Amino acid sequence: MKSTLFRSIIILLLAILLLNYAWAEKIILHVAGWGGPRDREMWNYISKEFERLHPNIIVKPIHIPTNYKETVLTSIAGGAPPDVLLLDSVIIPSFVGKDLLVNLTPYAESLGIDLSIYYQNVLDIARFGDTLYAFPKGFTPIMMYYNKELFDQAGIPYPKDGWTWSDYLELARKLTRDTDGDGRIDQYGTMFGNEFYLIQPWIWANGGDILSPDGKQATGYLNSTKTEQAVQFLIDLRNKEKVVPAPEVAPDLGRQVTMFYTGKIAMMASGHWALVGLKEYIDKGKLDIGVVHLPRVPGELPVTVMYETGYAVPKAAKHRKEAVMLAAFLSGPIVQRKDVERGIEISSIKAIAEEVAAKDPYGVEKPFIREVINARQPWGTKVEKFSMIETIIKEAIDEVMLGGKEIHQAFTEAATKIDEELASEVILKTKPGLSDKVRILGFVGAELIVALVLILLLIGRTGGILRLRTTQAYMFVAPSLFFLLFFIIGPVLFSLYLSFHHWNIVEPSKPWVGLTNFKALLHDRLFLRSLLNAGFYSLYVPISMAISLAVAVMMNQRIRGIAILRTLYFLPSICSFVAIAMVWKWIYNPQFGLANYILGKIGLGPFSWLTGTSTAMLSIMLMSIWMSIGYQMVIFLAGLQGIPDYLYEAAVIDGANAWQKFWRITLPLLRPSIFFVLVTSIIGSFQVFGPIYVMTQGGPLHATDVVVYHIYKNAWDYLKMGYASAMSWILFAVILVVTLIQFRFFRYGLEYY
Amino acid sequence: MRANFGHIVIRIVIYGVLLFLALTMLLPFIWMVSTSFMDRYEVYSYPPKFLPDKFLWSNYKEALTSLPFDRFFLNSLIMSIAIVVGQLLFCSQAAYAFARMRFPGRDKLFLLYLSTMMIPGIVTLIPLFLLVHALGWVDTYWALIVPSLSSVFGIFLLRQFFLTLPKELEDAARIDGASEFWIYWRIVLPLSKPALATFGIFSFMGTWRMLLWPLIATRSTEMRPVEVGIAMFSTHFSTNWPYQMAAAVVVMIPILVVFFFAQKYFIKGIVMTGLKG
Repeated sequence: MKSTLFRSIIILLLAILLLNYAWAEKIILHVAGWGGPRDREMWNYISKEFERLHPNIIVKPIHIPTNYKETVLTSIAGGAPPDVLLLDSVIIPSFVGKDLLVNLTPYAESLGIDLSIYYQNVLDIARFGDTLYAFPKGFTPIMMYYNKELFDQAGIPYPKDGWTWSDYLELARKLTRDTDGDGRIDQYGTMFGNEFYLIQPWIWANGGDILSPDGKQATGYLNSTKTEQAVQFLIDLRNKEKVVPAPEVAPDLGRQVTMFYTGKIAMMASGHWALVGLKEYIDKGKLDIGVVHLPRVPGELPVTVMYETGYAVPKAAKHRKEAVMLAAFLSGPIVQRKDVERGIEISSIKAIAEEVAAKDPYGVEKPFIREVINARQPWGTKVEKFSMIETIIKEAIDEVMLGGKEIHQAFTEAATKIDEELASEVILKTKPGLSDKVRILGFVGAELIVALVLILLLIGRTGGILRLRTTQAYMFVAPSLFFLLFFIIGPVLFSLYLSFHHWNIVEPSKPWVGLTNFKALLHDRLFLRSLLNAGFYSLYVPISMAISLAVAVMMNQRIRGIAILRTLYFLPSICSFVAIAMVWKWIYNPQFGLANYILGKIGLGPFSWLTGTSTAMLSIMLMSIWMSIGYQMVIFLAGLQGIPDYLYEAAVIDGANAWQKFWRITLPLLRPSIFFVLVTSIIGSFQVFGPIYVMTQGGPLHATDVVVYHIYKNAWDYLKMGYASAMSWILFAVILVVTLIQFRFFRYGLEYY
Repeated sequence: MRANFGHIVIRIVIYGVLLFLALTMLLPFIWMVSTSFMDRYEVYSYPPKFLPDKFLWSNYKEALTSLPFDRFFLNSLIMSIAIVVGQLLFCSQAAYAFARMRFPGRDKLFLLYLSTMMIPGIVTLIPLFLLVHALGWVDTYWALIVPSLSSVFGIFLLRQFFLTLPKELEDAARIDGASEFWIYWRIVLPLSKPALATFGIFSFMGTWRMLLWPLIATRSTEMRPVEVGIAMFSTHFSTNWPYQMAAAVVVMIPILVVFFFAQKYFIKGIVMTGLKG
């Protein structure tokens, strides 16, 4: 009896141990990718299939729908990278030339992964030197979409294979029309923005390029006649021919596609991704489109650009071999066959891509496949500093297109700038010393100790009753001070540390550079300009405060329905910013927008709003005023409640009128609230980022390039975290001075401020 | 009689202006709601379209069921409640000390607090993540909640309101031998309901709409808050506006409700208004 019990206990324990062991043996692999609802089904399928092949591995997707680059880079820098990550042409430049991703070639051999199933030039996109850093998932060449209906309406034949630039221009002219006869153009022949990824194929098609074949020099290439001709051709579409609508300052892919399928543009250059949204309407019979390669230049080679997505494995991944297996599986036939149903990209596997094209009833897939042989690898996967190069070229294009600069001059200057950037390539590498984890914990620990010692010293210095009071006061402050020191000041000190170092985020090496970052700031004219822009932007604060104060005083009454009115005013503060940005972009759209529509009715305008160098910042400020009224109103309302009624009653007895009451009672007693709103709004305005990022991306021609946007670009696009930190500290000093001035100003003649 | 007539005219003008402004405030909301019922095809019509051809209620059903929004709501709720409670408590304590107590180092310390608002968050993102990772909090509620438990904005806001409270009450309590904590808890807090309600709303709103930090600090879909859920309707390649707006409208409702009902705490309503002559 006893022994049975004993035995069963032993067995039970063993079973638990075994289970535990089995559980511990399961490997969890995280895969980072963008993705939404449709991806969920896909991932359930993937996890199931992969776990069937490898029962000891659990696959967990990380869906990062927005800010993909920042999120992925932070997790890598923070020492917790995903095991497998999806790369695309936006993020690939961050990794090029850095010792960060696993070279997949040896694994492909040892694990028996067949690389011959892929299109070879698609596979080559992810090659850097002899390393293969991603298994290709999908790709797309850039093609021309056209709306057949609009061609039919105009009685024009569709573009055919082998069509040329002059054919394209001719068609675009004919398709730019005023269809309803109201005297304004409501249908444009084509579309063109300043996105470089779409401009690149035109440059190649004309036989030009932006860099020398080895990627080391721009002068002589970017400012060559052929390159300039190509860009000038595109710019003329807008400025001279007027066959394209004014481009968005901050291009929005969804918008372009929507303009196309709502019949506002007849021809659109884009990738395969545009087809996803369009297919829905083709299926419903609402849309009839064709796809053709980009127009050619007679005498030049047929060429287009090709962008890909693929799965890579960071070297820091814990289970490297398993991660590589998963990456191969994700790019392999089982997953791809399922994935092509969604059709965002063309499958990188030749057999699957051709199968899909053969089944396509609309004939839009085949042209893509036919163009693969002409597709060239983009610079972004070959040159380390591509983000910077891209920005410089974009700016040069803007200078020509919007600023009226002569193209050769603009491009020569840009080429010189790029060459300087490429030459400044002094990558100091240090031996990784302390890990960042230790470093940040060190900062936090040190500051906590310093704070504790300081407080104890302060308490010790005071005597008697004062000592008790001081102790009590610090006890009140202690909880918030602890959180502040731990989670805010710790990271802030880390950024101070970074401002004296070079750091590219993705690699641990952080060489000490002394004051180099700060010295470089002295020559950064854009930094100064961006500070001034932010200062100008902050002028919106007093205006919006005056309005919101007036509104608050008016709202501070007990009247039927006023609660609803107050809620309405608060709406902009709680609406999703995505919706707000959408609405304002539409309001400000020069051709199709509400503002010009309404102002046009009373004979004003049209204004260029966000697309004009002199109006862009004012437009952003107007939006900011509108956005902050409700929120400031709420603070003022709360402040108004603290003003005792008897003061007003006494004033009435003394015969004061409304105006006098406002100036003599309301305003002085509201000073603490006013001070608060002013100080925090000014601090906020110097750090404005969201509206700029979404609405203008600093353009046009740096008109809205504010300091935090400039810092953001340097940190996350150019991967100059040290430099970005140095800028943040200069900004800190500026804001501190501005804040102290306000303190001084408000202290006069007041017991409190 | 004439004075009265003048008042009526002024009132009408005032309400006219208020109403007009309110309508412009309503604009994005109307756009959100009407877009949420549209077919994708209708989104960019010109002249601007404010009503969909057909109200597609199915957008709401699709949007809310295609992603685990019940879980997103739960996460946001846990996060928001914890942060609002924590911030109200810790911020009001610190604000009390800064506004009502005299102690050595006070003004310097306050300036230190304020100065932490002056470094842009985009350069402290990585160190904050390092810290949270070192604590082993990645993908947990701790990571979502703890770093936000205190807010300088809130301390500053409450401090400004505490400054306006009359000193007599607490002096009387002090003479009666009341402790500092008693004065804070029993006198200052009850008198500051408008300020606490205001800050409570801001804090709730701020947390409810957090996007970048939760995106970085969590990984599994089960840990994501609502704002990340909304973002999931737009990808690199296309945005499903109707679905995204449907989700955004639903997500907004809790804030709207909280605001509508919290109003009565910060508007006690003055019978004699500043405008009456």
